[in-house]
Amino acid sequence: MVPEKKNMDILYHSGTVLILLGLSFFLSGTVGLIRFPDIYTRLHALTKADNVGLGFVVSGLALQSGSWAVTAKLLLIWLLVLIASSASCHLIARSAMQKNIQPWTR
Amino acid sequence: MINFSRRFFLRIFFFSSVWFTLTGVDITSWVVGVPAVLIASGLSLMLAPPSQYQVSLAGVFRFIPFFLRQSLHGGIDVMRRALSSRQLLDPGLVSYTTFLSEGSARILFANTISLLPGTLSAELHGNSVTIHTLDRGLPIWANIQGLEYHIAALMRISPGKRNSS
Amino acid sequence: MSWMHTTFALILLPAIVVGMFRILRGPTAADRMVTAQLFGTCGVAILLLLGTGMGNPVLLDIALVFALLAALTTMTFIRRTWHGSGKKKHGHPIP
Repeated sequence: MVPEKKNMDILYHSGTVLILLGLSFFLSGTVGLIRFPDIYTRLHALTKADNVGLGFVVSGLALQSGSWAVTAKLLLIWLLVLIASSASCHLIARSAMQKNIQPWTR
Repeated sequence: MINFSRRFFLRIFFFSSVWFTLTGVDITSWVVGVPAVLIASGLSLMLAPPSQYQVSLAGVFRFIPFFLRQSLHGGIDVMRRALSSRQLLDPGLVSYTTFLSEGSARILFANTISLLPGTLSAELHGNSVTIHTLDRGLPIWANIQGLEYHIAALMRISPGKRNSS
Repeated sequence: MSWMHTTFALILLPAIVVGMFRILRGPTAADRMVTAQLFGTCGVAILLLLGTGMGNPVLLDIALVFALLAALTTMTFIRRTWHGSGKKKHGHPIP
């Protein structure tokens, strides 16, 4: 089955591209965590970049796995991380506000 | 208001599909799975009683692409600011009053704000959300109103009804 | 064994290690807690990549548990540690 093999290859390589994109989001999230000036801006960097990064990694791995069961499980993991980290992010920001930590301004 | 048993069966169906996703086609796993699903459904009904809102399936299918697009924008926006050699931040706090009602709609709203480009929900007080923004120059209002509209459609809440609490 | 996925997991390792810098510097406890969140998300990604790289699907389940625990860590920290005796200023439910 030559055409099918070729199809699989295309899926696999686009999966690799997606994973690489995801890695770049993770790395820039860490750069933001180090460079940004206060707790709120650091939360922005981490929550958004890492969730998008994980989304890309998960969809890349799903393409490469070629199995619906694995894809569903990967999506479930992503959804869970998404809910967990946006809730954690809100909790940390709210506590920082209650502790009167003033946001950095220009 | 849909009757109670239908709610219970919907939740059993939901948790069963989660269990199926986790364990695959292994029949023996249901020895643990059936009690786990029943307990989870019971607990979820106790902790999160059925609200008066019905989730609209069409709303869900419109919400998912909107959410994916916005969080991708959010990720790219943060990446640009983190990697730029210049300081691109102009943070500030804004307050937004939502018409979404108390409960799951408002919680979903507060949590998804943190994934929109440049916004982060810092505090939720009744119907007012304090939002921290990375850049006061961003179209925050348009983004948040878009999100609010999508969640209202998802939960079948009419935008006219202002629920004060 | 797929070397590509293992390499990808290795690329993510510096993202966590550099994040440790934030634990050292702080300045607030919340800044340190943000790094715990980084551990959560990055850790899940590393486990997923390793699971594929080593052909061991069990690592997927470990990633799932890891994600759950990371969220619990943050919530426990906020409720028990950072707020001292757990006194609440506002009575609204935690989302």
